[in-house]
This record gives sequence, C-alpha cells and structure tokens, in this order.
Amino acid sequence: MKAVLIIYNQAHTERIEYMLDRLGIKGYTQWPTIMGRGSETGEPRMGTHTWPELNSATLTIIEDQKVDVVLEKVKKLDAVNEEVGIRAFVWDILDAV
Amino acid sequence: MSIYANAVKKPITTLMIFLAVVVFGIYSLINLPIDLYPDIEFPAITVVTTYSGANASDIETNISVPIEDALNSVDKLQEITSISRDNISVVFAEFEYETDLDEAANEIRDGLSFIEEILPEGAGKPTIIKLNASMMPILFYAITAEESYEGIEKLLEEKIINPLNRIEGIGSIGLAGTPIRQVLIDVDPKRMEAYNVTIEQIGSVLQMENMNMPTGNIKMGMLNYPLRVEGEFNSSDEIRDIVIGNQSGQPIYLRDVATVKDSIREMSIDQRINGQRGITMYVMKQSGANTVKIAREINKELQELQNTLPSDISIEVILDSSEFISGSIRNLTETLMFALFFVMMVVFFFLGRWRATLIIVLTIPISLIVAFIYLYITDNTINIISLSSLSIAIGMVVDDAIVVLENISKHIERGSSPREAAIYATNEVWLAVIVTTLTVVAVFLPMTMIGGMTGVLFRQLGWIVSITVTTSTIAAITLTPMLSSKLLSLRPKNGYRTRISKYEQIVIPWLNELDSRYEKALRWSLHNKLLITVISFIIFFGSILLATGLNTSFIPESDDGYITVAAELQSGTRMEESARIARKIDSIAVALLPDELELLSSSAGSDESGGIMAIFQSSGSNIINHSISLTSAEDRDVTVWDIAERIRQELQKIPEIIKFNVTTGGGMSMSTTTLDVQIFGYDIEQTTLLADQIAEHLETIPGARDIEISREKSKPELRFDIDREKMAAMGLNTTTVAMALNNRINGLIATQYREGGDEYNVVVKFNESYRNSISDIENIAITNPLGNKIRLSEIGTIREYWSTPNIERQGRQRVVTVSTTPYKVSLGKLAADVQTEINKMDIPPEIIIEVGGAFEDLQESFTDLAMLLMLSLILVYLVMASQFESFRMPFIIMFSIPFAFTGVILALFITNTDLSVIAGLGAIMLVGIAVKNAIVLVDYINLMRDRGYDIDDAIALAGKSRLRPVLMTAMTTILGMMPLALSTGEGSEIWSPMGISVIGGLVFSTVVTMLIVPVIYRVFARRGERDEKAQVRRKFDFMDK
Repeated sequence: MKAVLIIYNQAHTERIEYMLDRLGIKGYTQWPTIMGRGSETGEPRMGTHTWPELNSATLTIIEDQKVDVVLEKVKKLDAVNEEVGIRAFVWDILDAV
Repeated sequence: MSIYANAVKKPITTLMIFLAVVVFGIYSLINLPIDLYPDIEFPAITVVTTYSGANASDIETNISVPIEDALNSVDKLQEITSISRDNISVVFAEFEYETDLDEAANEIRDGLSFIEEILPEGAGKPTIIKLNASMMPILFYAITAEESYEGIEKLLEEKIINPLNRIEGIGSIGLAGTPIRQVLIDVDPKRMEAYNVTIEQIGSVLQMENMNMPTGNIKMGMLNYPLRVEGEFNSSDEIRDIVIGNQSGQPIYLRDVATVKDSIREMSIDQRINGQRGITMYVMKQSGANTVKIAREINKELQELQNTLPSDISIEVILDSSEFISGSIRNLTETLMFALFFVMMVVFFFLGRWRATLIIVLTIPISLIVAFIYLYITDNTINIISLSSLSIAIGMVVDDAIVVLENISKHIERGSSPREAAIYATNEVWLAVIVTTLTVVAVFLPMTMIGGMTGVLFRQLGWIVSITVTTSTIAAITLTPMLSSKLLSLRPKNGYRTRISKYEQIVIPWLNELDSRYEKALRWSLHNKLLITVISFIIFFGSILLATGLNTSFIPESDDGYITVAAELQSGTRMEESARIARKIDSIAVALLPDELELLSSSAGSDESGGIMAIFQSSGSNIINHSISLTSAEDRDVTVWDIAERIRQELQKIPEIIKFNVTTGGGMSMSTTTLDVQIFGYDIEQTTLLADQIAEHLETIPGARDIEISREKSKPELRFDIDREKMAAMGLNTTTVAMALNNRINGLIATQYREGGDEYNVVVKFNESYRNSISDIENIAITNPLGNKIRLSEIGTIREYWSTPNIERQGRQRVVTVSTTPYKVSLGKLAADVQTEINKMDIPPEIIIEVGGAFEDLQESFTDLAMLLMLSLILVYLVMASQFESFRMPFIIMFSIPFAFTGVILALFITNTDLSVIAGLGAIMLVGIAVKNAIVLVDYINLMRDRGYDIDDAIALAGKSRLRPVLMTAMTTILGMMPLALSTGEGSEIWSPMGISVIGGLVFSTVVTMLIVPVIYRVFARRGERDEKAQVRRKFDFMDK
C-alpha cells in the first residue's frame, strides 16, 4: 500500500477525477482549495489578487502496482501544458485500520 | 457555491433566468409610452382673480398684493410673480421641483380663505389653476372652409370632436376662432326713443317671453294632467314679432325699433390659415398618456372622419409635436443600432473570433433591456434622455464581459477544459470587475440625487446607466462564463491547423507591433519623467485657457422647424387694419420660403372668448400672431434660426409694426431661452423709462434679438368722467349709468334662444352706426326713474386718456423685464455684454437691476453640475481607495481626470460646440469612464510589482499587457458614442454635445492614461514601496541576529 498525493491547479480537477475513475481507484481524499508554490518553476497559487489561481490536492491510498500507472498518467497530464501545473508524491503506508 | 460556478454548472437555469429578464424587458418596451422628455411637471400654481372695473394699479393694491401675502407662507415656494391688468389679477407661484402640487394647492386655498374678507366686495373668488405639461396642446390643426364656414362649429363638434374624444388618452379638444352664432337685436336708438322704450325694457320683455314653465296639475275625472305654459321661441323669426310695449293703445313690435339678425357674432379676431379663413383645433392629452400613440390614432381617425364633412372643409396639421418626438426617437434608435454595430466590430477586431464576439455582444441587449423594465416600473417613458442614456451605456456594458472572457480564453488556451476555465477564470477576476463597475456607478448614481431642473432631467440618465452597468456586471460573471463554457472550444496549441485565418495574418502582427512600439514609448517616457510631466501640465493649463473662450449655454436648442411671429401695431389699431398687415406678413413668409414653407397660420386681433390662454398673454386688436411650420430639418438647407433672422429683417421694413418678436421652437422646449434683465422699482414711469433705455442699449449688442419689454405700452382709452352732482340731480347713479352704457355698446344678453339642443345668446345692442363716435356716445340717452331721458353729455364728459399699463411683480416687488433672445451668440457671452452695457448706464439707487432668465437657469445648472462633479470625485476616490487599500493610488489614477477635461475642451473647441449643460454632463461622466482605464493599468502594475518585477519592468510589462484591453474598452465607448455625436437628424442638437465631449475626453484621457499615469506612478509609488519592504524587514530582524 502506498499513498499518492497529487497536487494540481484547480483547472485539472475534472481530469483527476476522471483519471481515478478510469484506473478503478475508488477511495481518495480531496482538498479542493489549497495554496502553495513550486520549488523551481511553478508560479505561486495563492488565491490573492496578485496570484489569483488556486490548487487542489487529492490523496489516495492504492495498491503498489497501481502507483506507476498513476504517475504515468499525471506526467501525461502535465505534458498538456506545463504552465498549469500538476505534481504527484508517493509515500509508503505502514498500517491502516 | 459561488454564483459563477452555479451559473456554469446549471446552464439551463442561467439561460432561463436571463430569458425571463428579456421577456419582461420586451413586455415593458411594448407598453412604454413615448415622449420627448421625462415627465417634468412644471411646479407652478396660478391664482386668477377678476375685479371688473378696476384698473391695473387698483388691482395691484387690492388684489395682487393681498394674495401674494397669503401665498407667501406656503411650503416649498420658490418665487411669486404677479401681473395686474385692468380687471384681472394673475398671481403665479412657482415651487421647488417635485413639490406635491395638490398639497400646495390646498395650502394656497387655506391661505386665500384668510384674506377673502380683505378682498374688495366686487372682486370675484380667486380661482386656483394648476399648470402642467399636459395642458400644452400636442396637436394643432388648421381647419378652413368656404360655404360651410358659418355653421362650422356645430359641424365640427358633432362630426369631429365627439368621435375623437372617444380615443383613449385625450384630455380635451378645443376650437379657437370659431364663428359663434348669436341672435342680434340691432336697435335703432332714434326709433327706440320715439317709441319711448329702452334697451333694458326690450331685454326684460325678451326674457319674460322666452319661457317654458310647468304650472301645476289638473285633476279631471280619473286623470291627472300636468299643465304647462310654452312660450319659448321656436324660431328666431318669432322674435321680430314680439310686442315690447304699447303706445297710445297700439302695440309696439320689436321689428319697429330693431332689426333681428340671426347670424354669427361680430369677430374681434381674424384667423387665417395659408391665407384662408380658418379655425384652429387643438388637442390636449391626459397627463401620462402617450403623445405619439394619440397623435397617430387621431390622424388616422381624422382621415376617415374627414369624409363625413362637406367637401369644402379641409383639415391640416399645423403642429404635431409627436412628429418631432417620433423623429427624434427614430433617430436615436438608429444611433443605438449603429453603436451596437460599431461595438461589435471593435470586439471582433480585438478578439478575432465570432463566437467570443457573440458572447460579449449578447450582454448588450440583456443589459439594455433591464433599463426598459426600470422605466416601466417607475412609470417613465421612452424619451430622448432615456434613449441617449442607453446609447451612452452601450459601450460600457461590454467592458466587464470582455475582461471575463479574456481571462477564460487565456485559461482555455493553457489547456483547461472550457467548463473549468469558465469557473476558475471568473473566480480570478470577478472582484476586479465589480470594483470597476462601482467606479462607474459612483459617477452615475449621484446624478439621481441632484435637485433642480438639471436633476429632474438627468435622474433617468443616472439610473439607467447605473442599472445597465450593474446588470452587465451580473451578466459578465454568470452568463458570460456559462456561454464560454458552452461555445468556446479548446484549440490545439501546436497541433496542425488546416489554415491560418486572414485575421491572424493581418491583424495579429499589427497588434503585436502596436504592443511593442507602445512598450518602447513607455520606457522612453519613464526615463524622461520630468519632460513628460512638464509637457502634460502645459497642455492642461493651456486647455484651461482655451476653456475661458468657450461659449456657455443651457440645453442646446433644437431645430423643430417651427417659428412663431408676434407683431404689435400701434396701440388701438382696429382689427381690420391688423388683418391687412397680417396679410403682408403672410406674403413675406411665402416669398422668403418658397420650398420650406409647409403651413402658415395667423391671427390678428384677439379672441374675446379666448378662454384661459387670454389670461397669460397680452391681447388686443393690434396684435398679430403667426405660426409657420417648415419642412423637416433634413429636407432644407437653412436652419430655423437663419430663417427667423431673415423674417426679422423683412419685418423691420414694415413701418406699421412697432414691435415684433420672432421665436423658434414649438413650445416644447424645456425652459425659456431668453435672457432677462429685470428692473425692480416702484415708480412705474421711472422704470418704464429705464426699461426703454436698456432696450435701446441692447439693440446695439451684436446677437441680441427680439428685444421685448414686458410692460405693455399704454393704450389710448376713452373714459366717461361723471359729474356726480349733475348725475344725482337727474336721479341716476354710477352703476345705472355704467350698466346702461354696457348694454348699449357691449350689448345686453337678454335670453337664450334654443335650437336643436344648443343655446345661442340673444343680444340686444345699438346698431353699430350709432356707437362709433364720441358724439354718438354723448348722445346716448338713459332713462331715469322718473321716466325722463337724460343724455350722457348732460351728466359728464368723454375724455381720452392713456390707460395704466399692466403691473408685474416678482418677489413682491414691482418689476419690468427686458428680454432678448440670443442669435448666433452664446447665452453666457450675451449676459456678459448686457451686464457691461448696464454698468455703463446711470441707474438710480432705488432701482435694482438683475440679469436672469435662461441665464439664471444656466448658472444654477452649472452649480448643480459642479456639485455633482465634487460628489462623483469623492465617491470614485472612496471606491478606489478601498480597492487598492491605499490612499495614494487613487490620486495617481485620478491624474487622468484633468486630462479628460482637457480632451473635452479641445473637442468642444474644434467642433465649435457650446459648453452646454449637456456637454458638461458628458465631462462628468468621463470621471467614471477615464478612471476605469487607469484602474486597469495601475492594478496590473501593482500586480507585476507584487510578483517581484522591478518597478520599471513592471510598468512596461503591465503597459504592454493592458494596452489591448484598455484600447478595446475605450474604443467600444468611443465608437458607441460616435453615432450620437455625429447625428444630424431631428433633435440631434440636444444630445450630440454629450457625445462630442465624451469622445474628446476619452480619446485624450486614454492617451494620457497610457503615458502619464505610468510616469506619475513611477514618481509617487517608488518610495512608498521601499518603506513597506523596510518595515517588514525591521519586524523580522531578530532572525538575522
């Protein structure tokens, strides 16, 4: 079991939901409005007057073998337009109840 | 969930809501009446009191003054003026605008009840008359006839007026100048005296004979019979055979002493239409009724009704106020359509996509239609003001939609799906859009609050623009995202395009070139801050100097092709002579205007039974009135003012005319256009002399026309001076003598002759040949109670006098007004010239002279405008300060406002347009429009700096990126107003100055905004920003320790 945290520009919301459905991932947790900025590229998404855009985040705990597929899809999404911005991060899940 | 997200997610609901608005709007539009101006009730009440036998100064002291005193305490009263003429007093109370006149009338009634005791016994009860716009006739017809002339009144009454009265919305229909049938008993005084009867005797016999009376019931057998005596005359011939007395046992018949003529009354007025004998018919509408609709229905109905009349009667329109109204409205509607087209072209030019253009242009009808709902709900009309307001709004309502759509397409181009782009892009800009709208509303909403004439006029403008702009904002954050999510599509960014459109080949490179050139210019001016600042200040102050040379005027006059000529001949000229001169004027008009003349109607003399209008205008047998209708403004080369001037020159050549007045405009103008010099002073002779002197001085001023003195010239009058002692010795008194004279000369109305349901007066008077010289009058015999005949010459003498003129008062002081109409000179300049002329004169200290009239209105209006400007500036500052959360930013932005005014001044100067109230209003509107551009720019500069750019780069980048949106919104507004400014059709004179001033101001301020505002920003913003950063660093300096 691994946790995948996908952080993306709000404009990607529908695609993420579609992607998870396509891959048969049922469970996830979503934060619809969050702020942040990228370390290298990635403009700030602050929801302020200066940086009006916002991010969303989706956390999903999935089987190990699905992680690569998810990452591959995220990469494809990013390729559409890198300005929009999407990133995914993976953790190990030690235990769950 | 936010409003825009909802709108995008529920497109059908959104569509339905806007459809509902459109449906309501169309319903309102269909039901809205059309008029020239918003409903303006002129808040005035007139109190008319008659006191027969009193001369002007008696009337003044005994009637006008007490009534003025009684009225003085009435609430919201602005001014009292009064005119005291022989026999009649007219007190005119003017109230503040929008006073409840019913309430005021009640107060006046209360006030009058207190002074009723004081008024002389013989005075009539004061009558309160409320004047309102609906009392002004909307249609005038000229009716001419040949054979049917004598019986025309009854014919018209039955066949025209009664059927027309059934049309909804008609207040009343009146006839002027109709011949009135009467039975005249033309007495030969010599025979009458020989038979020893008097006029009074004849009168009372006629009255007693012409009688039907029920005399009770008679019971006979089973029945009850009512008994009646029937003595009424069945035909006018019967009257001749009435026995009026006996002499030595022989009956005296009426025919023995008089001739009975059943004919029309002797006319004291000669009315002609196109040179033919005629009658005027005028139609008044009910208050609030649709002028255009009524006029259309009447004209249609008349076409049919005319067939029922004898063929020699012809009916022609003299003045149809609806023609001008519908002409203006048609014109404005065209203007609106052109504006819509231009705005659409601008949007397409900048966006290059039809779908995007459609989405933006759709907000126009939706926003405008809401204005109709507002008009309908508030019982307003479609009029010049409301339509030009729409024309002004049309360029502004697309702005918000443009901003929203631009951001949405930016997101779509970055690869978002249209649905998400619509939601998130709207989220980014909705607040900014609302704030820019607020600045516009901050300018227009105060317009709804100003008082006075200007306030009444521009309230609609304020509301309409505020409402449409607000609606457009709502549409921009709901309908625009919704439509974008449906209509815009994701374009492949680097995919294979089948073809590159012409637009991308030509316009895009051009726009890019423009962007980069502007950036270069901007960077250059940032380096030459001082130069730019100095130049702009020179331009600004230069324009202020230019402004002092601008002519000022009130509301521009419009060419409605209607001229009235009033000429006065020597006092006491008989009507027949006046009529002869009137024919001369007719021929002048015909000769001067071979093609332009449409209708010419004239009257010479005065109508005794003229009714209410006679109260308000001087009348007399020496007065000639002409009204001339010209063809419509587009069909002729000369303006109505030039024609009026030519007529003036011709009239000058007629020696019999001692005074004339040629005015333009058919009484539909909002207010007086004359400049009035008011002379306050008690001594009538002194003030009359002074008025004459001032009038003479005015003659020398170029551009002063139609100089008129309100105090009438003294008229010659015959007066019978009674020797009371002799009169008393003869057993007579003044009343008997006066009554006897009246009965013999003016005539005694003995009774009414009834025929076919109508009553006609039976008038007994002396044959004309026995009452047209002084000796005839002296010869008149009056029978005293002893039965002796006393000649008038035995009890007094007849002398010729000059009667006291009318006495006018204003603000409870005697006043004479010398008025003049400007021709090809502005009111402001004329007023200044008049003032210098008056200053040169030697004015006695007890006399006060004021220059007023339209000039006063003008000054009041400009004060109102100045107040409005202050209020707008403050409100705009408040809105911007809160938007930028800064006290300084609004100042930087407001630097564009003075340059907008510079643009206005230049535009007015170049087009040679007067600085009228309308043009001034256009300048005030610019406060909101010009600032809007600067906000967009400064906001983006701030954004760039916050994003970490250096100040110069931030300014250059922001400039480059905002150039297109600023140009686009400015162009939509400018081109939206262009048709308004360029229009030359009917009524265009009124509102084209507004278009000119807005366009001039906006062109100039846009250029200035894009160059000077960045420079000013650079000068002011630098230090403040550094301080802010230093402050933050100080707060956290513990981290570095």
